[in-house]
Order: sequence, then structure tokens, then C-alpha cells
Amino acid sequence: MLPRLVFISANALKGHGHFGAGLVQASRSLHTTSQSLAPVPPLPEKGGKVRHGIVPEELFQFLYPKSGVTGPYMLGTGLLVYMLSKEIYVINPETFAAAATGAVIIYGVKKFGPGVAAFADKLNEEKVAKAQEVKDLAMASLARAIEDEKKEQWRLEGRSMLFDAKRNNVAMLLETERRERRHTVTNEVKKRLDHQVALQNLHRRMEQEHMVNWVEENVIGSISPEQEKESIAKCIADLKALATATRAKATA
Amino acid sequence: MTLSMFDQFQSPSLYGLPLITLALTLPWVLYPALTGRWLNSRVLTLQGWFVNRFTQQLLLPLNVGGHKWAPLFASLMIFLITLNMVGLLPYTFTPTTQLSLNLGFAVPLWLATVTIGMRNQPTHALGHLLPEGTPTPLIPVLIIIETISLFIRPLALGVRLTANLTAGHLLILLIAKGAFVLLSPMPAVAVLTMFALLLLTLLEVAVAMIQAYVFVLLLSLYLQENV
Repeated sequence: MLPRLVFISANALKGHGHFGAGLVQASRSLHTTSQSLAPVPPLPEKGGKVRHGIVPEELFQFLYPKSGVTGPYMLGTGLLVYMLSKEIYVINPETFAAAATGAVIIYGVKKFGPGVAAFADKLNEEKVAKAQEVKDLAMASLARAIEDEKKEQWRLEGRSMLFDAKRNNVAMLLETERRERRHTVTNEVKKRLDHQVALQNLHRRMEQEHMVNWVEENVIGSISPEQEKESIAKCIADLKALATATRAKATA
Repeated sequence: MTLSMFDQFQSPSLYGLPLITLALTLPWVLYPALTGRWLNSRVLTLQGWFVNRFTQQLLLPLNVGGHKWAPLFASLMIFLITLNMVGLLPYTFTPTTQLSLNLGFAVPLWLATVTIGMRNQPTHALGHLLPEGTPTPLIPVLIIIETISLFIRPLALGVRLTANLTAGHLLILLIAKGAFVLLSPMPAVAVLTMFALLLLTLLEVAVAMIQAYVFVLLLSLYLQENV
């Protein structure tokens, strides 16, 4: 126990955070060799196995090669019986108190031991998980950055195709515009020509009408009243003759 | 018989050397030191978790000025709890059963809180002597009563811890003695007494932890008033 005390106290002086710093500085004048920078030995995976609640498993492992499985039990029984029989240990009321305390301790270890160990492991695992999460996030973001960079490089390759497409677009737009303008020009010219044709037609028609009117007027004016009477009488005579002819045809 | 029951509380000495110093340094040896590792063993992880949680809970109501007392409170708590719990083992000596030790903790720490209060904010500290809303005729009497209660605090702190632990140990001894004496004439009654002893041991474990916690909690309350 005493060597462990020295070891632990030295560790406490050296390793601890704010309290130990002052003590370390104070005793640094006494250090003879430099600080050991060797990698620290790894911690055992799981520690503190006990058998029957209070006896460490290491004792059983220690005694196994020489005395087998029943070795520690024989040792324990033998020691106990020896101390009782030689009255090195006298049974007194304190024994009963020790029995009660021992029962409480063993009950506590058996009932709460795994739970407490799991809790301690969980604390450590949470610590590792937090650091792992940071690392994973960093790696994920870096991988994403690599992906984005590759995409950018691929986009760069397609840039010439993009320019060709744009050039074609512009050419098409220009062509469309040109054709539209040509259509407009054609339509305008056609409109002008139609206008001229309509004008000519109108002229001809007006001349025709005017001529017809003039002829009519002249003809009507040339007809004197005696001629009119004459023609009317003739018409009536013709009609009478026609009537008698028809009547005769009808009766015949 | 009556005198021998109190023998367990006598400060032990071997060849004139007081062994209480050894008993007082035992808690320091029992807790592993912090290594430089990032992931520690289970004991160290639990120890660190407990100290962190305890200090965080205890310092919640205190303002920033009181945070200077965090290492003191944490170490005092762990010290007292270890002394009390180790004292429950058979054939051990519990230093906290000694009134001298408990008063030695209580009086200086209480006096420190009062002095801090009187020095930094005397009006506010004196104002604690008169609770709010007292009727006017009662004021003089109440101030005297509050002053008495203020000065009784260290005594109460020390004596509370001493009395609780001493009474617990004494009870354990008495009931164990009863079981021991009853074993040959009436074994059945001895078994019942052993059962009572088991329950008492459980109670003593709880009392050991609670008394240490109460000590530190009350000190933090006194600090809260004065800082």
C-alpha cells in the first residue's frame, strides 16, 4: 500500500490540472531526469472484476497456477479458522457490525455494480462520440467539397458547348428577326401596290359611269315629246295587235 | 460497560503518535489522481463526473463572487463523505466523531463567510438580522434572536455532524452488542437483532452521505447570504 501511496502522490503532484501546477513548479528543482515522453501504456478494456462482491478476481488468477480453482477458497477458510482457533481474532460485537456492513457492501456491489460501470462507460463513449462526430462532420464536409470541385471541373469542360449553343441561339434570333422584317417589307409594298390598283379601278369605274350617264342624258334629251307620243301610240297599237293575236291563238 | 462503549471515539495513538493524522490522510490516498489521458478509467471518469455535477449544483445559487469557494466546497464534501463512509467499516476510527475536528472546520469557514459579508457589504449583511415584514414592536427582540442564531451557526454545524455520526456509531455498537449477547441464549432474537442491524447500517450509510452534504450546503448558503 505504501509504494502505491508514493506512486499516487507523485502522480497527483505531476498530472493534475490547476492544483498540481503550483506543486509541480515547486518540486521541479528536485527533478533529476527529464520528463518521460514515452507513450503511456494503454488502459485495460474493463477493470475491477470482483468475485462474491469484495474479493478481486486478480487473487484467483494469481493463485490458480499453484493451487487451482479451490485454492483461494481454501486459503480463506484456512486463514479464518486459524485466526479463530488461535484467538488471534476474537469474536466480539464488532464482528456482527462487520457482518452487517459487509452484507450491505456486497449487496451494493452486486446490485449497482454493472449499472455504475455501464454509466461510466457511457460517459466515456459519449466523449468519444462527440469527438467522432466532429471528425465525421469535417470529413463529410470535405468530401462534399471534393464532389463540388469535381462538378465544377466537369462544368468547365462543357463550357465550349455552352458557348456554341449560345452562339446558335443568337444566330437563330437574328435570322428570325430578319425574316420578320422581310415579311413586313413585303406586306407594306403589297399594300402600296394594292392601293394603286384600287385607285386605277376606281378611276375606270368612275369614267364608265360618267360616260353611261352622259349617254343616257343625251339620249333622253334627244327624245322630243312628239317622238315620245308617237312611240307610245305605236307601243299601244303593237300591244293591241299582240293581244288579238294571242286571243286568236287561245281560241284556236 | 457504559464507559467501554465510548472507547471507540477515543482518538487513537500508537507509541505517542496520534493516528488521527493517518485517518485524515486516508481519503487523499483513496482517490486516483487525474492522469494526462483523454479517456480515463471508470473510477476516474466517475470521480470527475461526480465532482463536476456536485460543484455545478452547489454553485447554482451563488453569484460569481462565491465561485472562488468552489474548490474548497468540493474538496470538503469529498473529504467528509469519505471519512464518514470509511468510518462505517469495522475497526475503523471516524475522525468526524471528534467535536474538535468538526468545530475546526465549521468555525473558521463560518467566520470567513461572516467577515466577507461584513467587509464587502456591511449594510446588506446586517440586514439579514431582520427578516422582512416583521411588526414594529418585535424588531428589537427579533434582532437579538437573529444575532444569537447567527452566532450559534458554527456550533450547530459542528455539533450536528458530530452528534449524527457519534449517535450512529453508538447505535451500531449497541445493537451489535445486543445481537452478540443474545446469540447463545436466544438465537432467534439475535437474528431479528441482526436484521435491525442491517437496516441500521443502511441508514448509517445514508446519514453519512447526507450529513456531509448538509454541512457543505449550509456553508454555501451562509456564503450566499454574504457574498
